[in-house]
Amino acid sequence: MNAIEVIGLTKRFGDNVAVNGINFSVEEGETFGFLGPNGAGKTTTIRMLTGMTRITSGQALIHGHDIVRDTRAAKQLMGIVAETSNVYDELSAWDNIIFSGRLYHLKETEIQRNARDLLETFDLYDRRHDLAESFSKGMKRRLTLAMGLVNRPKVLFLDEPTSGLDVQSRRLIRDVIQDLARENVTILLTTHNIEEANVTCDRVAIINRGIIAGIDAPEKLKQTFESFQSVEVSFDAVRPGIVEALRAFPEATDVRKEGDKFRIYTADPPEILASLCTLAQAQNLRPISVTTRGPTLEEVFVRLTGLPVDRKKEEGESDAGLA
Amino acid sequence: MPGLLEEIAYDIGAAWTIARKDMKIYYIKPSILVSSLLFPFVMFLAFAIGREAPAGTLIPGLVAITLLFSASSIEPVSIPIERRTKTFDRLLSAPISVRAIVLGVSLSGAIFASVIGLATTVIGLVALRTGIIYIGLLLLGIVLTSLCFSTMGTLFASYRTENVGEVMSLLNLVRLPLLFISGVFIPISSMPAWGQTIALISPLTYAHDLILFAFNGTTRYGPVADIAVLVLALAVFQIAGALLYQRSRE
Repeated sequence: MNAIEVIGLTKRFGDNVAVNGINFSVEEGETFGFLGPNGAGKTTTIRMLTGMTRITSGQALIHGHDIVRDTRAAKQLMGIVAETSNVYDELSAWDNIIFSGRLYHLKETEIQRNARDLLETFDLYDRRHDLAESFSKGMKRRLTLAMGLVNRPKVLFLDEPTSGLDVQSRRLIRDVIQDLARENVTILLTTHNIEEANVTCDRVAIINRGIIAGIDAPEKLKQTFESFQSVEVSFDAVRPGIVEALRAFPEATDVRKEGDKFRIYTADPPEILASLCTLAQAQNLRPISVTTRGPTLEEVFVRLTGLPVDRKKEEGESDAGLA
Repeated sequence: MPGLLEEIAYDIGAAWTIARKDMKIYYIKPSILVSSLLFPFVMFLAFAIGREAPAGTLIPGLVAITLLFSASSIEPVSIPIERRTKTFDRLLSAPISVRAIVLGVSLSGAIFASVIGLATTVIGLVALRTGIIYIGLLLLGIVLTSLCFSTMGTLFASYRTENVGEVMSLLNLVRLPLLFISGVFIPISSMPAWGQTIALISPLTYAHDLILFAFNGTTRYGPVADIAVLVLALAVFQIAGALLYQRSRE
């Protein structure tokens, strides 16, 4: 049985279709990434899967429990970490976790044991009696994650778990996610951080305008776009008209100048290497570095969503690993 | 039906968890406690100075007003704030029913208002040197009235906004007229016929009538009718609240 099964899931807000009949499934123990620009439908999908937002049509099953018909059983299996660190500022870290545990109807001894373990894991135990309002952004984020794990969920939903965090908190949270994956916890995380999805997820769904544009393992998605392979070259000197000369290569699909380097996109890197040797000889240039690269997940993302990188940056995704 | 009983027990447990959290965050605060205890004193000054009202009539009016305001004032503040901080999402995403959320939020307001109502009663009794005829009915009246009006506050807070002012404005549109049509300031028997008819739809009318009966034995509708109407109003507010919160999960 799949941990998450989504069938024709649709969400309309009036005439606006936020999520348009998406289908996907997530196996038990899998870490699944939902990647997309702002407004693509990532958070709306999570809100439907977790019963926070009503489903317009379609079905979502959590370990076989329908989120609409069998809501409590489905929710009992979930942990949810929202995009905003939604802790109660006026409660201590300890009271925040205890409150979350009680909402899951756990035994008091189990709640207290889990609270202690989680606060230690997230390096908050020494501050357990402090009000959450005195915590830094990273500490609040860690507390939010601890609250989402108090019921030892089988399925964990993480909405932008490391967005805007300092390196230490980001690394701690990533380590915990990897530990959970090893414990066979199914994880569905949304992110606009492409690198995070690349290194964390077994599979990634790229969603744009409410539609899944591609879904596969990050490496397989990259292989889908052979034309996004590239050769990166740097010469010992700069000659005028070099970009035009590179663009003239019959195998080159695009050429970009990136600092002192040139990136030549191609479906056939060996042919480009041969052409580069010819060009270097003809123009008396000495290549000081040459690297061949497969497509990055970012390039797959751009290809599938049709969004140029600059536009995404304008939409506030500067920490998305796109730079 | 063990399924139903289990469901009820689960809801009550969840409601109590929410109520305890709300008590800690919103109610057990020195500023809230002091202002809530000062409220009936200020109302007493506005209500009693220059009037020859007997204590047995004055205290029930003060208690009824105090219960209305202290029970219904925090939910319209706490819920929009929790929407803004997204902590309300915690409740929506937890394995608990919307009924339990409405009950839990209302329960904390009801407990708080009951304590304030009792304190007002005790202070009034000591200060004005009067007594109570039916203590049990008074306690029942205070608890029932508190629960009824706290659920009304929760119902108004179902209006989907993060702005506290919007909810309070809507609530006061209803709450302030209730003071004048429920026999608290003006006896219902002194009202014109249309006023007496309107008084029938106000839960405060029956709350005041019940508390008045507990204090001096006078009643217009009878304690059974008062209790029945308050229970009915409570049920309507609870059911309407659950429906509106369910609907607001867009």
